[in-house]
Amino acid sequence: MMHCTMEELLALRANEGSVWGRQHLADCPVCRAEMEALYQRVAQLKALPPIGPARDRWPVIRERVVGARARGRRMWAARGLAAAALIAGVAVFRPFSGTSAYAEDLERAKQQSASLETELQEYDPDSRVVSGRAASLAADLEERIAAVDGWLAQLSGAPAAPDPQLVKLWQDRVNLMQQLVDVHVTSASYVAL
Amino acid sequence: MTISLAVPDILIARAKSGDVEALEELYRAFETPVYNLARRILRHPEDAEDVLQETFLEVVRSIRAYRGEGHLWGWIRRIASSKALMRIRRDQVRSEEAFDEGAVEGTPPIGVPAHIDLERAMARLSETSRAVVWLHDVEGYTHEEIAEMMGKTVSFSKSQLARAHTRLRRYLEGEGIAR
Repeated sequence: MMHCTMEELLALRANEGSVWGRQHLADCPVCRAEMEALYQRVAQLKALPPIGPARDRWPVIRERVVGARARGRRMWAARGLAAAALIAGVAVFRPFSGTSAYAEDLERAKQQSASLETELQEYDPDSRVVSGRAASLAADLEERIAAVDGWLAQLSGAPAAPDPQLVKLWQDRVNLMQQLVDVHVTSASYVAL
Repeated sequence: MTISLAVPDILIARAKSGDVEALEELYRAFETPVYNLARRILRHPEDAEDVLQETFLEVVRSIRAYRGEGHLWGWIRRIASSKALMRIRRDQVRSEEAFDEGAVEGTPPIGVPAHIDLERAMARLSETSRAVVWLHDVEGYTHEEIAEMMGKTVSFSKSQLARAHTRLRRYLEGEGIAR
């Protein structure tokens, strides 16, 4: 005697079985027992106790959320600083161009900072899984960059010829941005292994 | 697993506005259901933890797009399921296994209490089979929905389910308990 296959039993369970299958199930105690076992198995699956994570992932997620916001604010601040620097450059720096020993260094640092911002944005760190240590490092660097931006914003409000302090701040920003990019890239490389 | 999590609308509104405390409350409310779903599908706890993290990062990014149609758990569960299935696909691409027949069955994991026969049997299934069984029979997704999430056909989902139940039955008989 031919019995129902598992496919047939599953179809019958979903009210999609064939006429033959329905009739056979009604007549065959073996297949009825098999169907009953299927229902029991599913009931047991549904009754399995929920498993919770061994580690708390919220601190990492929180740092990512806070970091993303800081990055968003920093992007706007960087654009504001760039615009302010452009205006100041037109109004003040131009007469000094070629005469200031710092003008070239300043321009280079600004360009490096902008390209690192672009690199980080293209890398899209918010969509990637990172370890708690990497997230903590990134958050620390974000804070330090925000502090540098604060100083730069203050200086950009008082146009002056490029001086060592301004150049140093932009170079610090580049250095911190580079570390931030390294943290994200290294972390991604590690996760990808 | 039956979820009856009632989340107050005010909490969702606060989360949508970016309130970090509200986001944490949502995380606390759903971390176990999300992790459980991922863990039932994926073989390694670390992968399930990554899915948990990826899911909530997605929730944070997209919560504003949640329009309140249906239970919030349904929305989050869909994200978690997709993330878990993406991970299976990615791992299979890396190991050059096919999505379907890749079905390399595992051995019973060390550390699972011996009396949990069904869990042991589930652990021996491939991740793809586990995913289909769990999503269909426990979470209540249709074959059409599972096929869409997996990027496969409805008949693929149906045949995976049948194969998985055949194996579960065999494993449980082998464990010496009633099927």
